[in-house]
Amino acid sequence: MLRTIALALALAGLGTAQAQETPLRVGMSGGYFPFTFVKQDELQGFEVDVMEAVGKTLDIEVTFVTANFSGLFGMLGSGRIDTIANQITITEARQQQYAFTEPYVYDGAQVVVRQGNESIEGVEDLRGKSVAVNLGSNYEQLLRELPYADEIDIRTYESNIEQDTALGRVDAFVMDRVSASQVIQETPLPLALAGQPFSEIRNALPFRDTEEGRELRDRVDNALETLREDGTLTSISERWFGTDITRP
Amino acid sequence: MRELDFGYMLELFPILLRYLPLTLEMAGAGMVLALVLACLLAVIRVLKLPGLNALTLLFISFFRGTPLLVQLFLFYYGLPQLLAFLTQINGVTATIMGLTLHFSAYMAESIRAAIVGVDRSQTEAALSIGMTNAQLMRRIVLPQATRIAVPTLMNYFIDMIKATSLAFTLGVTELMGATQKEAAGSFLYFEAFITVAILYWGIVELLAWAQRRLESRLGEAYRR
Repeated sequence: MLRTIALALALAGLGTAQAQETPLRVGMSGGYFPFTFVKQDELQGFEVDVMEAVGKTLDIEVTFVTANFSGLFGMLGSGRIDTIANQITITEARQQQYAFTEPYVYDGAQVVVRQGNESIEGVEDLRGKSVAVNLGSNYEQLLRELPYADEIDIRTYESNIEQDTALGRVDAFVMDRVSASQVIQETPLPLALAGQPFSEIRNALPFRDTEEGRELRDRVDNALETLREDGTLTSISERWFGTDITRP
Repeated sequence: MRELDFGYMLELFPILLRYLPLTLEMAGAGMVLALVLACLLAVIRVLKLPGLNALTLLFISFFRGTPLLVQLFLFYYGLPQLLAFLTQINGVTATIMGLTLHFSAYMAESIRAAIVGVDRSQTEAALSIGMTNAQLMRRIVLPQATRIAVPTLMNYFIDMIKATSLAFTLGVTELMGATQKEAAGSFLYFEAFITVAILYWGIVELLAWAQRRLESRLGEAYRR
């Protein structure tokens, strides 16, 4: 029993680490590639790199606590962690509960074309073109809301929209930018992002909305600002995604 | 259908093994504590101790009547919102406490059944030769009740080992949590989860074997 507790403390990284300051406790699922995942028993990913850079900038220790996603907000609420680094999207409901940093990841609907296709440089060029979207995604809806929607040939696919765009069967496909970037990075398909994403999603770090939480949030915000200015965020993003997802 | 990646499974096995001790320690500690608590509750129920009996009934009713996951969330995430000092309890301790409370409610009933199941003539015979109530329990009833209770208690222990897989929702990286995270890194979900399934299965089979040996030892006096 005592051994169990000692082991637990060691595992949670809450042991007798003699840091001059209490460490920043960061919760994440460890199950969301390539943001946070484990390979060979080692926690890694975009979020891990960003938070370690934050820790280095603030000169405080960062400890990572992994838990099922469903447990993360409970851990934050009950004070067991200080923030969650797991691509938390800013929503109105969450903003009423938590103090968010400035966004450090901008995601959104992204138009992707076959490499070398210069006739499409963004969503405004989709008039008269055929565009593939995945069935069940909200991108079909987004396209239908465009004022010139009836001029777009929207095709819903069960799968393989990347392949059909690469083959030239459709002119473009639309999915979220981060996933699209990953497809371009991870697969040999000759694809390219066309222009900026439309309909933006912003991800940030939530802190408890208390005096203490807001103070910590402000310090982390400053660190993120520094990392944004000196190009660290960009280079971490380039490493994992081959593109910069940290700027709008 | 794609081919199975056996190499990955072999690679994953020793990594997952590192998390086995934590899983077994949580289940082991939970089982010992639950047994103690369950015996207490069972005795209260058998002797129908005034006041305590009603509390015990309420306890069993609640912990048997709600899912373990609900109890874990309630105590780990819910209560600390009311009582701040409860955040001092870490995930491992909370899991052990949750397993103890939950399973003791079930085990109390099966221990009670075992005590009641000892033939009445045994009690009458013991009392007729002048044993006190305590002697009667210690020398006559409990040894026989143990034999009756072992199969069902073992069942609960097996269930408890598997229930530790809920601990990752409290931030404890045990066998299942480690598997989930590794699967997220490799995308080889089938390989990862079949590996952990085999691990759990193997442990439970070992226990079943130990149980058969225990039962045959306890049954020696009854062999004809």
